[in-house]
Formats: sequence, structure tokens, C-alpha cells
Amino acid sequence: MVGEDIGERLAGHWGTDRLHIEPFPGTAGKVRFDPALVLDVLRVMRDELQFAHLAMVAGIDWEKHREVLYALWSDERKQYILLSADIPAEAAHIESASSIYPSANWHEREAWELVGITFDHHPDLRHLLTPDGYKFHPLLRSFKLHEPETLEVKRRDV
Amino acid sequence: MSTPVTGAAKVPSAEPAPTEGDLPMVDQPAVSFVEIETLRAREFIPAAKEALSSMALEKGQAEVIRPVFNWAGRNSLFPLHWGLACCAIEFAAAFGARWDAERFGVVPRSSPRQCDLMIVNGTVTWKVAHKLITLYEQMPDPKWVIAMGNCATGGGPFRTAYSVVPGVDKLVPVDVYIAGCPPRPEALLDGILRLEQLIRDRRE
Ligand code: SF4
Repeated sequence: MVGEDIGERLAGHWGTDRLHIEPFPGTAGKVRFDPALVLDVLRVMRDELQFAHLAMVAGIDWEKHREVLYALWSDERKQYILLSADIPAEAAHIESASSIYPSANWHEREAWELVGITFDHHPDLRHLLTPDGYKFHPLLRSFKLHEPETLEVKRRDV
Repeated sequence: MSTPVTGAAKVPSAEPAPTEGDLPMVDQPAVSFVEIETLRAREFIPAAKEALSSMALEKGQAEVIRPVFNWAGRNSLFPLHWGLACCAIEFAAAFGARWDAERFGVVPRSSPRQCDLMIVNGTVTWKVAHKLITLYEQMPDPKWVIAMGNCATGGGPFRTAYSVVPGVDKLVPVDVYIAGCPPRPEALLDGILRLEQLIRDRRE
């Protein structure tokens, strides 16, 4: 079930060529938008459409491009909505959402280290699950499992 | 007990040299060390006094002190109280009422400064490797490491994963490996008893 007012409101802001909404089972719909709009779209979602909770930021590797997926939850509507932006694999950059939804912080760190999507203006883009100095993005399809012995752990001065 | 004879200088040469019968237990220590192994703590101190003074006559200092330290050390192994993954569940069970590892003097302590045994009970990731090394280095010597389960032994089912250390012996020296995924508490107790054998045979 696509939320009617959501589609209208978004179209009123940006038209339909840079953003469109399609049905997605179990949610209010899936909004595909131009990655340059990310902060504006999220702000409208939070302030005008009552999606106050950012439940998830995920990165997906489609080889040719990568997809950033946001799942928002609204207590008023009792509904999720998905937002998705496609970014080119060779320049996998997108603006960080943590200035609007602080909960994006750790999700973006995870997406950065596992799928190699850089979030610009992130307050603290450090490794979350892999050790500091880890050079790989292990959930990319191009990642080959290396022999574990080739990895080195450097003894930190204690 | 007669005065222990500690060296030739203490025996005045004017006096006649003591005959063998005067010296306390030159041939036989009052209590043999095999017996001391089975004593309770209460009985240990008088027996040890007796035995040490007589043994010190015969053998060097190290020969006497070493077994005592080994006896004490292996009957009060204090492992670090932590858990890395699913093996920690079995680790916890081993200290519960049913298996009660504390009857061997194995008491988990929460500070590495109070520990002499590190039981690596789970998957070691590269993320936690630094912390594991830090904890190990904070433990006072002498210290031992038990690799519990397939993960700690060789990476287990995650051996080729991008985030897992293929065996904790890449990071710290390991004394006893326990196979199993997870090993049962009996296996952990067996590993601890084997470590006690290693400590009993320890010679510097
Ligand atoms: S050996 Fe098995 S039970 Fe133990 S930590 Fe590894 S996966 Fe879990």
C-alpha cells in the first residue's frame, strides 16, 4: 500500500524525474531518489511526513553500481518506508545522514567498512567490526577470500 | 628437629664431624614428595617444614623449591573470567553446580592481574586480538593458556573468514588444546587436569 500523501508530497517538492515511489510489500513504498537529494529527502521525511525513526542504513553491491538503502519507521503511521539511492561503484560517495538522524552513525560506519560506501561529512568514520587498518571491504562481490595467514595483527603498545 | 646444616662454614672444624646417624634423614626425607602431593593444605605446612629441611641438605635449593611451587600453582589455577563466543556457555557450565570445576581449585577471576590461566573460550576475531594480547600481557608470570574449542585451536568453522584469527596460537603461546565444537565441560576439566600434569613436571 503506497501512502498516497507521501507520493504527492514528494512529487510536489521535486517532481517525478529525480525521484519516484513504487510499491514495496509490507511498507509504505520504496522511494528511489537522486543521491544528491539525500539530505533534503530525509529532512522532508522526518519533519513533514512523520518518519521520526531511522531503523537501518544498508549498502548493497550490484557490481556496476551500489545502492544505499534507508529504512524509516513512523510511529504515527505504524509503517516502514524504504528510501534507496543508486551511486556509481567507481565513485561510491553519498552525504552522511547522521546530521538528521543521529542513529545513522554506526550503520554508516558498517556500510562503509563492509561495502565500501564513503559517507561524506560523517562525524566519526572509523572501523566498527573489522580491526583498525583493515584494508578490504569484505562484503563486496569482488572480494576474494585471502589466506588468513597473510593478515597481520600489529601489537599495540600496552 | 635438629638444626639444619646449611653449609660447611657453619660447622666448626674443631668439633668432630657428625656421623651419618646424627644428621636428620640423610637417606630418607621425613615425608616423601610423592606423599606431599596428596596432602591437604592443613597438613602441608608441618610436613613441608620437615621435608624441606632434610631435602635441602641433600639437594640444591631449586630442587626443593620447584616442586613446592608447582604443587601450589597447579592446585590454585585462576582462569580469566571472560567469554568470547558459544564455548563460553560450556565454560560457564563447568563452573556451575553440576561439574563444579572449583573442586580443583580453579576459580575464575575478573582481573587479569589475579590470573595465571587464560582459557580462550571462543572465536577470536582480529578485532579482539589486540585486547586478547593486552589481557595476556597483564597476567603475571608464570601463566598458561588453554585453547578451548575448535575456534581457538584453529579457527574452527570460520577458519577462512575475513575476520577470524585462525587459531589463538598466532597471538599467544598455547599449552593445552581442547577439541570440540563446543567441548563438553568434562573435556574442559580434562584439559585443566592435563595442564596440571604439565605444571607438575615443570623444571626451570
Ligand atoms: S568451537 Fe564451536 S562452540 Fe566453540 S566458539 Fe567455535 S563455533 Fe562456538
